[in-house]
Amino acid sequence: MSAFTSSPFAHNNSSVQKVMLQVQIAAFPALLAHILLFGYGIVVQWFLAVATALLVEYVMLKLRDRPVLPNITDFSALITVTGLVFCIPPESPWWVIVSGSAFALIFGKHLYGGLGYNPFNPAMLGYAFLLISFPAEMTQWTLPKDIAGYSLSFWDSFNHIMFGALPHAPIDSFTGATPLSAVKTGIQEGISANQMLHAPNIETGWLSLSAWGWINIAFLVGGAWMMYTRTIRWQFPVGFLGALALMAWIFHSINPDLYAPVSFHLLFGGTMLAAFFIITDPVSSSTTPMGRLIYAAGIGMLVYVIRNWGAFPDGIAFAVLLMNIAVPLIDRYTQPRVVGH
Amino acid sequence: MSLQQSIRQSLVNLIAPLYPMAKRWLYHFHGGVFPKYNKSLSLRQPLRRGFMPKQLILPLQQHMGAPAVPCVQVGDQVKKYQLIAQADKGLSVPVHAPTSGTIIALEQRILPHASGLAEPCIVIAPDGKDDALTNPLNRQQPPQTIAEFKQLILDAGIVGMGGAGFPTFAKLPNQPGLVQHLIINGAECEPFITCDDLLMQTHASEIIRAAQFIADLFAIAHVVCGIETNKPEAIKAIRQACQGTNIEVVEVATVYPMGGQKQLTQELLNIEIPTQKHSIDVGVVMMNVATLRAISQAIDFGQPLVSRFVTVSGMGLKQPFNIDALLGTPFNELVTLAQPEPKLDYPLLMGGPMMGFAVANNDVPVIKTTNCILANPPQAMQDPMACIRCGECAEACPINLLPQQLYWHAKAHEFEQAEKLNLFDCIECGCCSFVCPSRIPLVQYYRHAKAEVRELKAQAALTEQAKQRHDARVARLEREKQEREAKIAAKKAAVKQQAATEQTANNSTAADTTTTLSAREKAIQAAKARQAAAKKLNPEGTKDTKILEAHTEEKTEVKTELTVEDKRKAAIEAAKARAAAKKLNNEGTKISEAHTEEKTEVKTELTVEDKRKAAMEAAKARAAARKQQMESNNE
Repeated sequence: MSAFTSSPFAHNNSSVQKVMLQVQIAAFPALLAHILLFGYGIVVQWFLAVATALLVEYVMLKLRDRPVLPNITDFSALITVTGLVFCIPPESPWWVIVSGSAFALIFGKHLYGGLGYNPFNPAMLGYAFLLISFPAEMTQWTLPKDIAGYSLSFWDSFNHIMFGALPHAPIDSFTGATPLSAVKTGIQEGISANQMLHAPNIETGWLSLSAWGWINIAFLVGGAWMMYTRTIRWQFPVGFLGALALMAWIFHSINPDLYAPVSFHLLFGGTMLAAFFIITDPVSSSTTPMGRLIYAAGIGMLVYVIRNWGAFPDGIAFAVLLMNIAVPLIDRYTQPRVVGH
Repeated sequence: MSLQQSIRQSLVNLIAPLYPMAKRWLYHFHGGVFPKYNKSLSLRQPLRRGFMPKQLILPLQQHMGAPAVPCVQVGDQVKKYQLIAQADKGLSVPVHAPTSGTIIALEQRILPHASGLAEPCIVIAPDGKDDALTNPLNRQQPPQTIAEFKQLILDAGIVGMGGAGFPTFAKLPNQPGLVQHLIINGAECEPFITCDDLLMQTHASEIIRAAQFIADLFAIAHVVCGIETNKPEAIKAIRQACQGTNIEVVEVATVYPMGGQKQLTQELLNIEIPTQKHSIDVGVVMMNVATLRAISQAIDFGQPLVSRFVTVSGMGLKQPFNIDALLGTPFNELVTLAQPEPKLDYPLLMGGPMMGFAVANNDVPVIKTTNCILANPPQAMQDPMACIRCGECAEACPINLLPQQLYWHAKAHEFEQAEKLNLFDCIECGCCSFVCPSRIPLVQYYRHAKAEVRELKAQAALTEQAKQRHDARVARLEREKQEREAKIAAKKAAVKQQAATEQTANNSTAADTTTTLSAREKAIQAAKARQAAAKKLNPEGTKDTKILEAHTEEKTEVKTELTVEDKRKAAIEAAKARAAAKKLNNEGTKISEAHTEEKTEVKTELTVEDKRKAAMEAAKARAAARKQQMESNNE
């Protein structure tokens, strides 16, 4: 016997790598939808992010005097940067994703002692860093192809991201505000939420579901797969989506002009990404079954609050980071009843 | 199986291929895992019997409690069933010879125990005749009373054969009516192991008979037998044996650790055994099928426990099998029968892969708790990775602990925190380690933490004991000191009395010196006053005279002095002495203490004055005597 000589001598053959790969696989439907609807920008960003991740992991493991193998192959960095890639505008310049990924991995993970020791969700830490540091770049989202009426080829995207080379059209014609910020701005200008939702740059697309809606559906599909394979715990999406939907329903019932309907909150912004890929990060979330539900519901409520009354169009990153802080407290007060007690 | 149960069962059977964890809906306790059972390996071959090894190694301790005490010598011939080691006082059971032969050694051999330590064993070289004693337990009829029954199973050396090895007699109450439920444990949830399955198939009636006997004797209303669904043959056999009895047979879901005492009790009776309590506290007694069969052999034939069913299995064996093996049979001899492939150059496991342990030496013997010998060639182990807090362990824990947080605290040596998270409720079933994607040896951490906590507690207890002892000692010393002082004081009082007597008798000069600045005039005046007093006191003088008589020598001296000095003065001095003596007599020890210094001075005064050598010597003698007395007190 090698590593240990006490029971059990059997294992179900699961591994951290398998768990992480499962997450990566589950992200594919969303990736495909992204490419179809927003172009190839995300592919370029993803490769940039992965390259950054590999470099950062290697350097940090060396600096921390930890074995590069197997730590670099735990694929946790891959999941972190994949989450981040989905959050940033697909056509943003290369240094955005590179600095964001590096920050997420260095400050979000390695400085806390590596995988398993980070109190904050690294992807969201990276995103918050980018949002505060480069607000202009982070809020100009690529318009869906069918709205812009124009799409960039892979090569165009590559050139634009890497060298800032402008394609034939001016940047304004293919980027714009996200629906969340559009609605927010609209409501502030006195336009009703319903009117805003029927604005042409939102309610278009296949089956009258916007590009954003489709991306969210794709995340939902991937998420369902992860629930099925028990890669993620059901309490996260249930708590998060439940709390968000409940908040949206209550306020929409009170004042439909001021508050967007439930469907809007569930299908726009990063809702499904957060529900299945972000808040499900086990390291920085609560570990008790009840605690997970509370943690997720807390994020759902905070997201709604930030979306409606905060300064940012989408509040997932801040909501997640805030709830990360609350995790030790939640864990402490949600210990399950032990058999015989 | 009720209709509802069977509907649920078939529903889960439908879903399980798609969603394996649906199987968790089939039972009542939390968590549980579904390892690869590999039970068919050892069931392919029929039961083997009659294997006679070259030697039998019988540890004196095959059970929980105190080791047995050998009652044979090297060279003795023993018969089958003969008592070779008696039960020690308290929690202990005897050991019997599994076959006839010669005792060839009484020595330390490595035990099949996780510690790998060597302990005293009796080694028998079988003679091959298998001569048996008739009625070895001297049983005339089935036991009629609980006391008789408990004595019988103690004499038969019966212990819990499911793995714990707790002496069976000790877990039964002394009067009927205290047990409401008797659970027959036929769950056998560990992978690979099939010995209980086979035992139930082949000896169902004996098992049920023993259970019925116990139920009748202890007036147990409810007897239930739980068998996992993956043993259809055993279920059939037990059901058949139960016909005509009130014994309930329940098919329980096939999940590890269904066979755990807490889990099976929860499953069959919906009773949670409270933490830190035993099942008997909630009126439940659980017995493994093998234990019941041993009991039936003791009741029916008066046979002690000398053999048991053992599964010899594993991925490293070409012909795994079950065997009715004699206790003391070395593992490697049995494994050789099963044709190991590849070569047996790795440690065997005793027990199943989930809770078994690697033995320190492959020639350790089969003992009363050996249900399985497992030969699984070692596989390359992955190094543990960091915990990602995925929570699989908590999902799998049958006790509903938070293994990940326990691990966290155990690793950080925060044992108090781990204890707060109910570390000691952990049954070490291994489910958490089994599912951990980071392959952290969680159970090992908990074992270590438990050992540390026990050690810390033992140390704390020792410290407390030492503290109490120290306090007690300080108190005792203080008390003794006071006693001694009181004694000394009393002595001093006596001495003072004497000294005062002497002093007065000797002369006034000594007395004058005591009051440092006393002038002659004063002395004379005082003497005059005393003279007056003496005149009054003379009639009472008799008592004082007695005291004075004790010091005849001094008195004589005084007399000689008197001849030298004035007659009048002498009369005064005598009166003075009488007065002082009387005063001493009246006022007792306090005053005598107050006069101690004075007396010492008197003594010095006496040494200075050569004339009173005798007095000085007497004082010296008294001082020596007192010193001696003090020394003896100190001791």
